[in-house]
Amino acid sequence: MASHTFLSLLLFYLYSFHLLRPIYCSFGSNGFETTSVPKEEEFSEELLLKPLPDYKVLAHFHFTSTSPPSSSNGKHHHLFPKSIAQLVKKYKIRELELSFTQGRWNYDRWGASDPLSTANGKPPGVELWALFDIPTKEEIDATWRNLTHSLSGLFCASINFLESSTSYSAPLWGFLPNNGDLRYGALPREAVCTENLTPWLKLLPCRDKAGIASLLDRPSIYRGHYHSQRLKLRSDGLNGIVIEQTLSVVLQPIDRTSWSMHQLFKKSLTGKCALAKSSKVFLEIEGNLVSQNENILELVGEADMVTNDQRDHSTIYQYNVERYSEHEALDIRVNWKKLLQVSFLQAPLHASRFLMGSGNERGSIAISLQSARNSTKGLYDNSKNCFTRVVIFQVVPWYVKVYYHTLRIYVDGAIRDAKDVVEKINVAPSEDKVSPGTLEMMLQFPCGMMSAALTLDFDKGFLHIDEYPPDANQGFDIPSALVSFPDFISRRIYPDSISSPLLQSYKGRNIVKSYTEVLLVPLTTPDFSMPYNVITFTCTVLALYFGSMVNVLRRRVSEEERLAKSKDKRKPGLIPLLISKISNKVRGIKEDSANQSQSSQPILGPKVVFKVVLIALIAVLGHYIFNSS
Amino acid sequence: MADDTSAAAGTSTETGAGTESNLRTTKPGTKRLFLTVSVLISFLLGAPFLLKSTEIHRSPLPSAAISSLSDHLHSNPPSFPCHFQAIFLSPFKPSDSSLSLSVAERIRAQLSAQSCGNCNFTVSVTVDSGSSCRHEGDAASAACLWECGGGGLVDAIEGRDDQGIDELLLSAVNGRTGGCAGRVYSIFVIEGRDERVVIGKHRHAWMVLKDLDDSTSVVSMIGTVFGDYFMRGGVEKGEYIPVGSDGNVVLSFSLLNSNPSDWIYDWDFQRTGEVLLAPVLEALAPVANITMESQVLYHAPKSSISYWDEKLEAYVVNTRDLPFFVNSNEWHLDTSLSASGRSKVLQFVVYVPSASECPLYIRTPEGEMSKTNAFISPMWGGVAIWNPPGCSMQSQGIHIVRDVLPPQELEKIIEIFIGQLRLLFGLNSNYVEPSPKFKVLASEKGFTNWELDLLYRQHTCFNLLSSLSTLQSLSTLVESLPRMIVMDEIGKQVELSLEAANLAESNISLGINNASALSSIRARALAEDAFFHPSIMSISYSSMEHYFAIYMPFFAPVSLHVLLAAVKEVKRYFAERSKYLTFRASKLKSS
Repeated sequence: MASHTFLSLLLFYLYSFHLLRPIYCSFGSNGFETTSVPKEEEFSEELLLKPLPDYKVLAHFHFTSTSPPSSSNGKHHHLFPKSIAQLVKKYKIRELELSFTQGRWNYDRWGASDPLSTANGKPPGVELWALFDIPTKEEIDATWRNLTHSLSGLFCASINFLESSTSYSAPLWGFLPNNGDLRYGALPREAVCTENLTPWLKLLPCRDKAGIASLLDRPSIYRGHYHSQRLKLRSDGLNGIVIEQTLSVVLQPIDRTSWSMHQLFKKSLTGKCALAKSSKVFLEIEGNLVSQNENILELVGEADMVTNDQRDHSTIYQYNVERYSEHEALDIRVNWKKLLQVSFLQAPLHASRFLMGSGNERGSIAISLQSARNSTKGLYDNSKNCFTRVVIFQVVPWYVKVYYHTLRIYVDGAIRDAKDVVEKINVAPSEDKVSPGTLEMMLQFPCGMMSAALTLDFDKGFLHIDEYPPDANQGFDIPSALVSFPDFISRRIYPDSISSPLLQSYKGRNIVKSYTEVLLVPLTTPDFSMPYNVITFTCTVLALYFGSMVNVLRRRVSEEERLAKSKDKRKPGLIPLLISKISNKVRGIKEDSANQSQSSQPILGPKVVFKVVLIALIAVLGHYIFNSS
Repeated sequence: MADDTSAAAGTSTETGAGTESNLRTTKPGTKRLFLTVSVLISFLLGAPFLLKSTEIHRSPLPSAAISSLSDHLHSNPPSFPCHFQAIFLSPFKPSDSSLSLSVAERIRAQLSAQSCGNCNFTVSVTVDSGSSCRHEGDAASAACLWECGGGGLVDAIEGRDDQGIDELLLSAVNGRTGGCAGRVYSIFVIEGRDERVVIGKHRHAWMVLKDLDDSTSVVSMIGTVFGDYFMRGGVEKGEYIPVGSDGNVVLSFSLLNSNPSDWIYDWDFQRTGEVLLAPVLEALAPVANITMESQVLYHAPKSSISYWDEKLEAYVVNTRDLPFFVNSNEWHLDTSLSASGRSKVLQFVVYVPSASECPLYIRTPEGEMSKTNAFISPMWGGVAIWNPPGCSMQSQGIHIVRDVLPPQELEKIIEIFIGQLRLLFGLNSNYVEPSPKFKVLASEKGFTNWELDLLYRQHTCFNLLSSLSTLQSLSTLVESLPRMIVMDEIGKQVELSLEAANLAESNISLGINNASALSSIRARALAEDAFFHPSIMSISYSSMEHYFAIYMPFFAPVSLHVLLAAVKEVKRYFAERSKYLTFRASKLKSS
């Protein structure tokens, strides 16, 4: 089996290097152009089940709605969701993708370079990007702001936080090659739950009342290890509007070696959505099972079609939901005879990102790239001209002030001059409270490289007291960075006998990419009662100073002392004197009497000064003790 | 230091040794008194500056003007100048000389005083029969009066159908009156054999009477046409006009398939609906800017219960269950995204029942079947039930029926919707004639001209009143929160809104219809803008506690010191002075 993995990897790389390298790729072209333009609005539903190497199961729901190009788009609709068509029309959207994700796609275990993981691995939280058909930058920004508000209302999520210019960026080529009409924003901390799923389901003609979507049992799907709900739409004059709604969940079956759809979802599939043009369930197994002896796997439930992709990376079992009804529900059961050893395709480099440094002042971000082919060391060593290209796209909020000149690149542990490695770089430095910092970087690594690391130093900025979120002590999230490998393309071509929008999208030239972890940066959190403390403290000091000044100017010290002395000839100590004075004051004994002309004393005697200082000291100490306690 | 004090004390012993002594030889000094009092005074003088500097910015709102205008409008609702004229085309000799006065009296008798959108009317009667031409009654200007010479009309009317007569009279009215401020409504009275009263599609009616001599019945007839139809639309009108505050209305048409596993119906709304509704929208253009959209929804069951009725062989929903018919959980009708700002969305729903509840009918409280099988919900929209043909035959195959709503059925439904739209706008869906000889011509546009005038008046009046009530709420709110920040922008919007309201009011009394409608819409939009200004919605409100918390730590201890010092000094000064005065008195006495 290991040799098989090795072989398939080798094959894949050879293909990707020798065949696909000269092709310049664009993300957006995955398979749409091949479909002929339908006259009517259409809807199709599909579900793909895929066992993952760590005995989990990936369930990938895929719903496609198309609306042909028409002047009545946004006004009159039959199947296509009216709200989306109006959104496209109002904001002149060419392409848009919105994803809600909980958990992180495990690139190591669940695959990184097959089309499914490339297209569906999404960063945690909300990610939104849109391409507009609007000429000027200002208009695009204004439209983006309106769009975030509309989507926020449509999907019951706080997407409107992407409105502020500090939270979105306009990458030129790091995310998707464009002419400056792309806007990208991410909210890593957005929680995803049923309130986001319900509006998403509302866009389907059958919602979850019938068809494949009826499998979406909320407790089952939210129990999963990964949950990503996506809406992708494309609109052009040729194809009209196409929306792809996908939901990927990674579920853990109770029994590792044997599971069924009913066990996974606690619901059974009793029929298709009556409005769907096609309704299919696929089971995809990595590796060519057809040619091998079928002694690994036993399937209960007869598939309508079994096929391999062109390069025998995977086997697809197709079930048409139309055949099933209430009396005979579709329930695919998978029994592994041997313990599963499914091969899967890794990305050329495994990317991870972490923080370095300590304290609340500064730190550095590091992105580490580990070669996935540890075992194949030296495979490309002899070819000097072989390079792997890596594109890194990273957005950093303004309060993490990255010093881009501190970029250091290590290849196999040795520091390398940036000039040798960086092929293309585009930096948009952050502007305080105006825009985030954006880094787009294309790197070239030698093929035989085992590991690479990039570090960037940053200072932590200070926020205004109003800008802290309610849970300021939790820290601030830096959205996931995107690492893509433009030389590596994941595509799978299936025989034309399968007509499926989902498998069609596999045909597209998807660049292999992976999102890194979200970083949590703790910032110095102020004491939020500080302004009040400062006010009260300063005021107390000022009041003390003022009061004593008034007293010094007013009081006749000699007269009072003389009075005191006349009462008690004994010379009292300092404290009894104070006590008697205070008690006199409290009892309101009249002290004033004597002669003014007698006060020949200097008003500001050292004794008075001492008293004033003493009182001030006591007050300060008291204040300090009260505040600190 | 200690020595000094003791020495000083020693020297002062003879001058009366402090308190015990009641005498004082020298005049008390005013240095310290002056000092403490001046500090106090400077604090008092500084207080206004402090208050001024810590003042919250509040743009002044013209609350007096708002309440006065609002009171004025409530006691005296705006009335639009109209002119009613009765034209007798047949020779007529009124028994009493003041026919116009009795008509006016007849109209006033039925007028509820406080309703909005009424006419401030004048009535005139013209007898124009060949040779004789006589005007009677008052009119705002001579231009409002019918210009004599229409004698030929009587012959021309002969032999035409109602539509033809209507068009004929329209051209006659256009030719013979004009340049009048405000609307002119005419009624033509002709002597003839078959008695009938017809209200046309424009702003006139005609009646054919056998006997013109019975002046009370003539007056009552004319009064009914003017008062109940031209002025009030034949209904006691509702309170609300379903138009958004920016004058936009979105009509959202939805076809709901209750259960698509039984049958699925689609429709071609774009082709049929738009064609049928376009003239209606065009007619309503002066009242509201209306747009349309449509969608088809599936899996949308109703939420009220229906019963099987053996006699009718149908499922029946009682009227009392209708409030639960609209299933807001499953009917995802959605507010439209194109309804920007504060537009109003009116939902029109065609409900296709599922096989388990088909055919479905609405039963009125009287136990009859509803003719239209439809109902409205005010300010929300309307629902019409459409039973698919042959649905009572329960034998449905396994194959799902996919069909398109037949265009003629859709036409019927859209006619129902036009009726519902009329109801939603506060008009009758169709007129129930009191007698067979009474007829109201319906316009193919859905709304006749005089009905549109009525809507126009009501809408303008409603806008005006609602803008003022909004402004008044805003000014009450602002007054009740003394430390609320009021932005300049809000103040400006309020002023502009008030200005527009005043303008609308004066335009109404002058009879300039377009301008008054425009400024009333503007007044309402501005008032709503001011009320829903984001700065009011946010918590930009610094409380009194906040204010005290900031200034107390300084001012409380300081003012204590200053006040105490001043009080003590003043007291001491007076005590010392009295001592000195007694000393002087005793000295004088002794000397």
